[in-house]
Amino acid sequence: MELKVIENATCTFCGCVCDDIELHADDVRIHQAKKACVLGKSWFLNHTAEKKYPDALIDGQPASLDEAIEVAANHLYEADMPLVYGMSNTTCEAQKECVAMADLLGALLDSHTSL
Amino acid sequence: MGGKVTCTLGEVKNRADFIVYWGGNPAECHPRHFTKYTLMQKSKFLPRGRKDRTVVLVDIRETKSAKAADHFLQVRPGKDFELLTILRALIKDQKVSEEQVAETGLSLEVLKDLIEKMKAAKFGVMFFGMGLSMTRGKHMNAAALLTLAAEMNAFTKFVAMPMRGHGNVTGADVIMRWQTGYPFGISLNRGYPRYNPGEFSTVDVLVRGDTDCAFIIGADPGATMPKPAIDHLAKVPTIVLDPHVTHTSRLSRVHITTAPAGIAAPGTGYRMDEVPMPLKPALQSPYPSDEEVVRRIRETIALRPDWMTNQPQMIEAQI
Ligand code: SF4
Repeated sequence: MELKVIENATCTFCGCVCDDIELHADDVRIHQAKKACVLGKSWFLNHTAEKKYPDALIDGQPASLDEAIEVAANHLYEADMPLVYGMSNTTCEAQKECVAMADLLGALLDSHTSL
Repeated sequence: MGGKVTCTLGEVKNRADFIVYWGGNPAECHPRHFTKYTLMQKSKFLPRGRKDRTVVLVDIRETKSAKAADHFLQVRPGKDFELLTILRALIKDQKVSEEQVAETGLSLEVLKDLIEKMKAAKFGVMFFGMGLSMTRGKHMNAAALLTLAAEMNAFTKFVAMPMRGHGNVTGADVIMRWQTGYPFGISLNRGYPRYNPGEFSTVDVLVRGDTDCAFIIGADPGATMPKPAIDHLAKVPTIVLDPHVTHTSRLSRVHITTAPAGIAAPGTGYRMDEVPMPLKPALQSPYPSDEEVVRRIRETIALRPDWMTNQPQMIEAQI
């Protein structure tokens, strides 16, 4: 397995968003996160590219992504007052999609900030 | 928080010679804040780095961050608003009695000394954490601190900045502000955005049982929220998008595994000073990104008849 080095990678574990991290990774996991602090290191090293979980779960049972998307869309559409919440540990691109979806649904929209 | 007097961390790094941390513990929660942005950096304007800067910590107890500070002010729990208001009065030479100051757990002498130092600074910055904005007074405390920073500008340059916590929560604020005009606590159920924290904020909505379907992404309220809120999440159909099977996933109807942002999914994240940073994923995930899954759910919903034109009764009922 080939070892890649990624320079100036970005850590998003805390609000500092350090963008000077040097990552050493193979195909499956990150082995080293140079310059990152203890929190950042454990964040980088704890995620892998392994398939640890099923693609999706519906009522606790493994399911395919397509099925899960269909069921999720159904629940959201059928609801009178759906809620879209969270958006901390995700990208701005995904956040934008969430806002668009909430708009389409006429939903409540909220993030961690309100806690 | 539109209208706040603030700056970027680059300016802090290069110019701030007076730094206050209020109600936060950066040494343990933002470990590289001191070294990368505030205390330790040398610059053209502060060639001696740490020696050219004065650092004050205001908190209810002496945390590890106190060691890094020159002055530690221990405020009595729940008295932040009073202390901030007294400081606002003192900078304008208004009269404050000893008893009023004593209530905050500090002395007039200490505060006068603090104000002298604040006014003598060339560039002051106040960082505030959840110890200020999540305790008694909440956003009113944050507003008082922001006002103090703004009023200090009558004497010298002063700015304030919230120490934002987990992941891309700053990005969520920015994106919602951009798209709806409000940062959080929004309802779109009349077809246009309305803002009312307390009414539309999630904990309150869940505790009151005011939602009948929850979509949770990049958060684990099942581990952090009060029990009545979690109970409601378990009662209604909940949909979770997360790289892990979380506490919330276990009580949800639908869980979809996604690639972790920044590690295996590309995109943008915002730093606490609202500077966007590109993410550089190191791994290739077997799972799709959040962005892709939300888009596909949205597109599936969009195929159905629009609820607004379908049931315009709310608008009519109002007239
Ligand atoms: S490396 Fe540490 S300080 Fe920097 S963003 Fe990550 S967790 Fe925060």
